[in-house]
Amino acid sequence: MKKVFALSAVALLLSGTANAEIRINGFANLVGGITSSDDSLYGYDEDINFSEQSLFAIQVSGDINDRMTATGQLVARGSDDYNADFEWAYLTYAATDNVSVSAGRLRMPLFRYSASLDVGYSYHWVVAPSSVYDVPFNNVDGVKVDYSGYSGDLEYTFQLTGGKIENDFTLAGQSADLEVNNVLVGTADFTYLNWTFRVVAARGDTSFDIPALDPVLAQLGQIDPNLQDLLAANDDDGLFYGVSLEYDAFDWFVSAELTGVEIEDSFYPEEMNYYVTAGMRSGKWTPFITYEKSDLNDGPKFLDKVAGYPAPFQGPLTQLLVGIQLPAVSENSTTSVGVRYDYDTNIALKMDVTKFSDDIDEGNDASLVRFAVNYVF
Amino acid sequence: MISKKVVFATFVVLFASFSLSAATTIIVHPGNSATLDEKTVQRIFLGKEKKFSDGSETIPVNQSADSTVRADFDENVLGRSSSQVSAYWSKLVFTGKGVPPKEVANDAEVIDLISKNPSAIGYVDSSSVTDAVKAVSLN
Repeated sequence: MKKVFALSAVALLLSGTANAEIRINGFANLVGGITSSDDSLYGYDEDINFSEQSLFAIQVSGDINDRMTATGQLVARGSDDYNADFEWAYLTYAATDNVSVSAGRLRMPLFRYSASLDVGYSYHWVVAPSSVYDVPFNNVDGVKVDYSGYSGDLEYTFQLTGGKIENDFTLAGQSADLEVNNVLVGTADFTYLNWTFRVVAARGDTSFDIPALDPVLAQLGQIDPNLQDLLAANDDDGLFYGVSLEYDAFDWFVSAELTGVEIEDSFYPEEMNYYVTAGMRSGKWTPFITYEKSDLNDGPKFLDKVAGYPAPFQGPLTQLLVGIQLPAVSENSTTSVGVRYDYDTNIALKMDVTKFSDDIDEGNDASLVRFAVNYVF
Repeated sequence: MISKKVVFATFVVLFASFSLSAATTIIVHPGNSATLDEKTVQRIFLGKEKKFSDGSETIPVNQSADSTVRADFDENVLGRSSSQVSAYWSKLVFTGKGVPPKEVANDAEVIDLISKNPSAIGYVDSSSVTDAVKAVSLN
């Protein structure tokens, strides 16, 4: 009820101005999936599930005046029992034809498909590659400045985003909180004829609150508080970077995206993810293939510190250092093959088959079949 | 042999698309003297260009998604299928970056709108063009 009220309050607010034009758009992804027996992947298991990656969203936007627009996006995710939340709510001010400034709750422009990540209709995949896109820091409360223009056939967009991220996430099955302060994200996007190129770099003061890790961190603190501070992610400098390249000849396309995360003074391993995808467009059909790799397996950090402690401490210290870092360690590769069918100019039907290989523990290998209906209005 | 067939098929496709695009005409208000080429029309209908070459505002007018003239325009002027164009707009709409052109039901409505508004630009089947609007050649 509260949510409905909030939505109508926004609608009222938007309609308050006499000549405001209110636009209501929406999108929905209904995704069903089932794994082969005893496997589990992305929340799916051997019993068919329709909620894990499904979502319904409504966007209301209105022009406050000829330069200002208010936008609110209400999203209900199946993984969250379809509880609706305002994931985005922001005002945009078009300062000039080239420059716009947005403020409020925004999508972090980290990835090539960040902005339309939830709009399944906008891309060929059933769901954007998890190895790259599944991050707990997708939305930011802050300000974004956008500059775009073109020169001949070269189109470019530069974005600078600043703000704060607060979110909860799951690490190795344990719930945790994430807080990133003084976030700064810079992106540059270029389109030249059939080519699209993008670079992004971001930083933030990163804190993880993972209750399951607290007892071991405290043990470490009994040996040396400096080590506890070193391993805990507490207001530590976190870096994110990414590049992507696409060639789209309309009849076919190939694209790749690579991202990395580094929080040097913390237990969190150096992370590197990428995917390569290709597809063909033949009438209403778009068959595609995607290979993904996720690598958070760079070997335990800080083991060189152990030698500086008296011999009796070295064994337990090594155990603690490795034990604290272990939950975040993972390495896996994923291959999926699928097809998109344009049923109508606002409905796409899709299906894919995914083969997931855990490069550390092959007991986690899994196969998954998904199908989806994407709708926009 | 295979390559000859491919070349032949390509010619057929090229020929087909040229003859199709000849059936669609870009139209503006008779008083609009802005210079327009295919690239500019593309940019206007993809929301990338908001002004004519003379600096006045553009209001693109689209036709309904299931019309043949729309399919022809999307395919030959924008260079993508209507579904791809719609996927393109879904990216902009849901990121607050753009609003797709208004859609009207038929050629007569496009002509009516454009004849009344110097900012409007649209496209119709070549056989529908009247004196109330100005046909633009994209060369």
